[in-house]
Amino acid sequence: MAIETPLSTAARPSPQQATATRRTIWQRIRLIEPYLYLLPAFLAVGIWVYWPLIQTVELSFYRWNLLPTRPKVPVGFENYLQVLALPEMGIALRNTVLYALGLLPFSVGLPLALALITAGIGGPLRGVYRAVIFAPVLMAPVVVAVVWRWILHPTQGLVYTAIQQPLGLPTVNWFRDSVLSLPVIVAITGWGLLGFSFLIFSAGLANIPKEYTEAARIDGATQWQITRYVMLPLLTPTISFMVIMTVLLGAQWVFPLVNVLTQGGPQDATTNLYYILWQFGFRSFNVGWSSAAAVLFFAGFGIIAFIAVRLIDRFSIYDS
Amino acid sequence: MTPKRLTASSIFGHAVLVLLSLISIGPIYWMFLSSLRPENEIYSTNPLPSSISLENYIFVWQSIPIGNMLANTFLMAALITIGQLMICLLAGYALARWEFRGSRLFFFLFLGTWLIPFQVIMIPNYVLLSRLGWLNTLQGLVVPQLATAFGIILLRQHMKAFPRELLDAARIDGAGSWRVLWSIVVPNLRAPLAALAILYFIGGWNEYFWPLLVSNKPEQTVVQVGLQMFLTQEGNQWGALMAAAALASLPVFVLYVILQRQVVEAFLRSGLK
Repeated sequence: MAIETPLSTAARPSPQQATATRRTIWQRIRLIEPYLYLLPAFLAVGIWVYWPLIQTVELSFYRWNLLPTRPKVPVGFENYLQVLALPEMGIALRNTVLYALGLLPFSVGLPLALALITAGIGGPLRGVYRAVIFAPVLMAPVVVAVVWRWILHPTQGLVYTAIQQPLGLPTVNWFRDSVLSLPVIVAITGWGLLGFSFLIFSAGLANIPKEYTEAARIDGATQWQITRYVMLPLLTPTISFMVIMTVLLGAQWVFPLVNVLTQGGPQDATTNLYYILWQFGFRSFNVGWSSAAAVLFFAGFGIIAFIAVRLIDRFSIYDS
Repeated sequence: MTPKRLTASSIFGHAVLVLLSLISIGPIYWMFLSSLRPENEIYSTNPLPSSISLENYIFVWQSIPIGNMLANTFLMAALITIGQLMICLLAGYALARWEFRGSRLFFFLFLGTWLIPFQVIMIPNYVLLSRLGWLNTLQGLVVPQLATAFGIILLRQHMKAFPRELLDAARIDGAGSWRVLWSIVVPNLRAPLAALAILYFIGGWNEYFWPLLVSNKPEQTVVQVGLQMFLTQEGNQWGALMAAAALASLPVFVLYVILQRQVVEAFLRSGLK
């Protein structure tokens, strides 16, 4: 990536009539000027992101329980070996994948289909739909969790009293069921995500120049052909962006719901890699395990992100 | 595709949008409705209220320091917004205006923070905060959340697209870089700055994970954590829980009602965090 700076000449001192000494002082200040502007951001990122990252790597080689009064015991690679042997890690990894895959229909499939179906809808109602459909995106995750806990309560919630009871269906403990709890968490997260994704795809479709679809229509293309061969290819940057966001961050989006509604249970059915790091660190106070798992996770995350970015570059079709 | 003609496909489209709207707004409506229902009607499935009562709100107000929590949340969100805007503005300006030794390195350093999930660095962050004695303090909630790269990269892009003639003219007039930033760049970046401010404020208001780690006293914590405490404490007091949830989301909804267009645009332009 080439960095062009149209303003780079500003680094030169202005040819003002000043004494030679003053000019050198100004030159010196001018030389460090950009660094002064960068300093706050650099300090923030250095102190709260990069330095802690190094410390996480360091802590992964110690046994420690987070108490400042207790010593840190060096244990070599023991934490890594123990963490890798834990059955919870395998479950957490599997669930992380399940969350990502489960969220894809809500962040890509469904909203894309809905955006295509409703692309022709205009008029004053469009703004109303837009405003309403977007509202869940603004809800705090904890609020979402509390509201759905009420709606899905096994015997008092609206889903039971309005649907299950009248139809004579049995009660379901949505958040304590070892099979249903993960899909339910996915669906609730998906509810909060759908409006955002839908508007993203709608905006992408609205940006496709009319000439393209008109030209295809004049050439005798059917609506399906226009969708498949004109609209979808032009949407690939948006689609791949949403896919990558979901794959990388999906398990993070569900975190507050998991913590409020299931605490990872029942029997680790709803845990994931993010949640297990938090449990190791702040529930079992096993800093070594949490850090070792974090290092492994970070490495895996980095590799997937790298591959993802390469794939975007290769498969995206840009309208230039 | 003529929008005004009522064809079969447009009726279908409207039907889909109405359904989607109902799914989106339904649970939010149910939250407000339940919060306003008197105790004896809380299990009603009637979608319309037969009577409205504020008893749940009064109960919440009396049983937890929700006023403190709301004030803390507002302060935290406002300070994060102001702090991040300042940091991003200065850094974005440096990266857009000058080419200097290490400018590329800095750029990738900021970009790279995106690759580091917060859970990976939370323990050292927590340890540093407790060493500083910042647990259960406002600065403890705010300062670590000032580290972000998204705004820097967004503002840098906007500044790069800035008309060069304006800056040249100012430079010939002898204005220093600081004056150019405030008198020319900032007034012309109102739209992206406003979008960032909206995103940061709503993100700050809804932030949950970091406050959960560093503030555990009801008087010092934010409303999202307070809501979870209330849930643990009150369990199935649904009316009161919905009242607390409604209070926790009300400020963002008020902001949304006032600035609906700008809020949606801000999110669409910049993606989810």
